[in-house]
Amino acid sequence: MAGAITARAPISIGSKRAVATESVLARRVLITITVVFLTIFVLVPLINVFNQAFSKGFEGYWSVFFPPQPPDDATLTFSQKRRLAEGAAQAARTWSSIGLTVAVAAVVLPLNIIFGLAAAWATTKFNFRGRALLTALIDLPFSVSPVVAGLVFVLLLGRNGILGPWATQLVWPDPFSLHWVGFENGVWPLAFGRTHTGVIFTPLAIVLATIFVTFPFVARSLTPLMENQGTDEELAALSLGASGWRTFFKITLPNVKWALLYGVILCLARAFGEFGAVSVVSGHIDVNDTMPLRIEKLWNEYNNQAAFTVASVLAFVAVITLVAKSVVEWKAARDAERTN
Amino acid sequence: MTIEVKNISKSYGASPVLRNIDLKINSGELVSLLGPSGSGKTTLLRIIAGIEEADRGSGAVVFDGEDVSDVDLGRRGIGFVFQSYALFKHLSVFENIAFGLRAKPRRNRPTEAQIKEKVQSLLELIQLSSFAQRYPSQLSGGQRQRVALARALAVEPRVLLLDEPFGALDATVRRELRSWLRHLHDTIHVTTIFVTHDQEEALEVSDRVAVMGNGRIEQFASPQEVYENPANEFVFKFLGNYNVFHGRSGAGALVRPHDIAIFRTSDGDRPDAAQTAVVAHIGFGGPVVKIELESDDKNRVDVELTAQAYHDLKLQRGEKVWFAARRAHSDFPPEYAI
Ligand SMILES: Nc1ncnc2c1ncn2[C@@H]1O[C@H](COP(=O)(O)OP(=O)(O)O)[C@@H](O)[C@H]1O
Ligand SMILES: [Mg+2]
Repeated sequence: MAGAITARAPISIGSKRAVATESVLARRVLITITVVFLTIFVLVPLINVFNQAFSKGFEGYWSVFFPPQPPDDATLTFSQKRRLAEGAAQAARTWSSIGLTVAVAAVVLPLNIIFGLAAAWATTKFNFRGRALLTALIDLPFSVSPVVAGLVFVLLLGRNGILGPWATQLVWPDPFSLHWVGFENGVWPLAFGRTHTGVIFTPLAIVLATIFVTFPFVARSLTPLMENQGTDEELAALSLGASGWRTFFKITLPNVKWALLYGVILCLARAFGEFGAVSVVSGHIDVNDTMPLRIEKLWNEYNNQAAFTVASVLAFVAVITLVAKSVVEWKAARDAERTN
Repeated sequence: MTIEVKNISKSYGASPVLRNIDLKINSGELVSLLGPSGSGKTTLLRIIAGIEEADRGSGAVVFDGEDVSDVDLGRRGIGFVFQSYALFKHLSVFENIAFGLRAKPRRNRPTEAQIKEKVQSLLELIQLSSFAQRYPSQLSGGQRQRVALARALAVEPRVLLLDEPFGALDATVRRELRSWLRHLHDTIHVTTIFVTHDQEEALEVSDRVAVMGNGRIEQFASPQEVYENPANEFVFKFLGNYNVFHGRSGAGALVRPHDIAIFRTSDGDRPDAAQTAVVAHIGFGGPVVKIELESDDKNRVDVELTAQAYHDLKLQRGEKVWFAARRAHSDFPPEYAI
């Protein structure tokens, strides 16, 4: 009998949490299941990542990024020298993977913001034939296996692909090699220091694959909000004589800023962590390694501690993402409350 | 400024929403578009504003003799107040009102001091001077409505277009704002069109009323004219309650509740046409008392008496009385077939 059922529990109107009038036992069981599940599948692996990463102490962790340098006057045996060179090469590859991951994210993110805003705008503020189809297409990457997506790019742009003859000849400048050359060659003082040829098995393919798997995030986080807000505020701004740009930057953008940021966070998290699609188009060439690919290589070389060390960086990014996401959700909810 | 709507039609897909609308509004007039929900009022207002486009080749919107059909919304010199207010949620009241001034091209944009002065004077006009720094969410419905109006007025529009401006407000605030709007219009004399589905509101506030039904303008005349001489049955029926009396010929006569007189059974001066009935219900409504009669042939007859007349009659529920129509509308042309 012990007060298991409270038939007269007051229902608090307006409270976000419905008061559960189920038995205390059921509540405990459900909470226990959830906690056990999260512990087994999230908490333990996460702790394990850091545990393994620090298995050779803080020094071991540090040396994955900054391998030990012997004093200049030290006399080293041949095998010592070889091990030092090996360590330096591994660290260089790790740094290159971090650099590529950040660079890909930096290229993908602005494109996704533009695409996401355009797609959300088109599907919510205009009525046109094929709108439903477009909305469904935006969700496609959620339902396609990333590996399949990567393969599609290979089949499309690879040597025997439909666009192969064009794509394999494509020469494109490396945007990160842009540097100052002065005015000696004309009015344009900047020049690219490096070019790449081809698409598949180059960083460009990594960018394409990452765009494919991340593009729904921004659009999807904006759509419900934009749909809800309708077009009245924009029309009001236009009727007051504001230009289209002004209306967009002063009215539309401020109204969706938290949803946009939320989409950006999700997009970044996915861009950093994507493995399948990127793996297929990278060709397993070292210079095409992003952090997840680098982790796999270290693992395959039986360098578990280094693999977990790089993984711990991604895990750390994930935790930051989680915090940022919660903050944005909280801010968005507060704003939504203020506007009602 | 005069506004002319010439032969405007609009359909969404296959369904026509406006059918060959013609309307001419004089400079400085306050005109209301009155009609039931779905009759096309908002659509017409949005076409005049330039938010919506009329059907291709259907007609023109003319401001002061100039065809503005192809002029952008922002360049028509209109002030539009949305039914939802559409205030900028993330801007203060001050910035909402200043928005149109700040959006002007650089060469005729007022200085910061001029903007401040202008906004201040508008805040006074809408009696919200101390609310400049508040956000829309911190205002009541009526206050939001006034801010929306001030924001539209800031750019000194040639025409003010209001879509159901008081639609979402409660009855008291509605009545207050209604007379406030009338006073405002008498002060600034800007040509104004406002949409409403509330007969009382339209008749009380406007210089002229355009009664709309089913995508057409059924009558466009002064409030008194539309009420006393409705052009057709639709207008008559839409403007108020009515009773239908079927004569021997089968044709129905339409009579307003306040056009029915009640006589005591003992009265000697009742007209010959008077019929007998029983008082079924008495409802008090302030200055007007609503009486429900049940006639001998078991039909319900609604009657409205002034409180004074009611007191003089000393009516009781269940009492037998005589009633007769003082005025009947029965000569409407038959409804045209579509
Ligand atoms: N964007 C639209 N698409 C399709 N039908 C519409 C659209 N806007 C209005 N309508 C239809 O046009 C008719 C008139 O609408 P509206 O002008 O809003 O009427 P009112 O303002 O008199 O209530 C309605 O039947 C409505 O369903
Ligand atoms: Mg409407």
